[in-house]
Amino acid sequence: MISKFHLLPGLLLFAGCATTTPVDIEGSSTQLESRQIQTRQYDTLDKALTMRSAVATLQDLGFTIDQADAELGVITATRYDQYTMRMTVTVVQRGNERVSVRANARIGENPVTDAETYQDFFVALDKAMFLTLQHID
Amino acid sequence: MRRKMGKPIVPVLGAMLAGLLAGCATDAVPKDALRLPESSLEVRSLQTRKLAAPSETAILTATIAVLQDMEFNIDRVEKPLGVISASKTSDADDQGEKTGLFFLDLLCAAGGGSDCDNMSTAKDKQRLFLTMVVLPSLERSGEYSVRVTIQRIIYDKEDRVRIRERIKAPEIYQKVFANLRQSLAIEVNQS
Repeated sequence: MISKFHLLPGLLLFAGCATTTPVDIEGSSTQLESRQIQTRQYDTLDKALTMRSAVATLQDLGFTIDQADAELGVITATRYDQYTMRMTVTVVQRGNERVSVRANARIGENPVTDAETYQDFFVALDKAMFLTLQHID
Repeated sequence: MRRKMGKPIVPVLGAMLAGLLAGCATDAVPKDALRLPESSLEVRSLQTRKLAAPSETAILTATIAVLQDMEFNIDRVEKPLGVISASKTSDADDQGEKTGLFFLDLLCAAGGGSDCDNMSTAKDKQRLFLTMVVLPSLERSGEYSVRVTIQRIIYDKEDRVRIRERIKAPEIYQKVFANLRQSLAIEVNQS
């Protein structure tokens, strides 16, 4: 007679990490929450110079650029390290005076959701924008 | 009978659960993932040169040509941002790589690793990713700022990722810029 305990290890193995995998279309954080931590508004540089600074920031952080579109203001970049990190930065002109920059990042399969990491990115962007303003680039 | 068989199954189940949990564990975001390194200005200047050129088209053409000379494929060009993305896959078995991998072998063996392939003799390959940003200097007209960043992934003969790294060696960047200067000279002479 086979004990039911004998079947458990097998069942556990087959169960794996996920039984039914939902389609992760929404992401893990709320729309407003992620926008807030991922976005900064600038009134220092125009869209073109902000994009120039954003590309330089990504390079400063060790990324190579996968693609960039000046018209739509989208930059996608990847960094190969202990882990693979992928970032998308969008630069949008808001009215005549303000430029909005949004960054989002993933490490492997995981989205980066902590505010400090995005804070670090914007600190780096601030420095790059300062260098652009001073014409040191 | 049942009691006798139930006992040994408990540690087995425990070990399997631990294994499963380990398998499901997700990597936490490293604290300094997007923190600007202190050496960033130094690295930036290592990766950047100011070059004089007759026009933006001339320097972009020379840059693309030098990437072709170095056997890269151009993946994307976005002219308004001066961004050129290029990549190539090549043999990682030159002398320098062999030396590096040989040291990895030694480290692996010294660490008591049981899966230390003889990497120094393996037919490894590397995939290189390169970004060139060519923009008119904000300081002077007729001058262009060129910045290059390079990363690579080294795979072993089994196609497993061995190393993922940013290229930091100054001589690599010096070589790229020496080639670019030459390419620019040819471009200017031809036009």
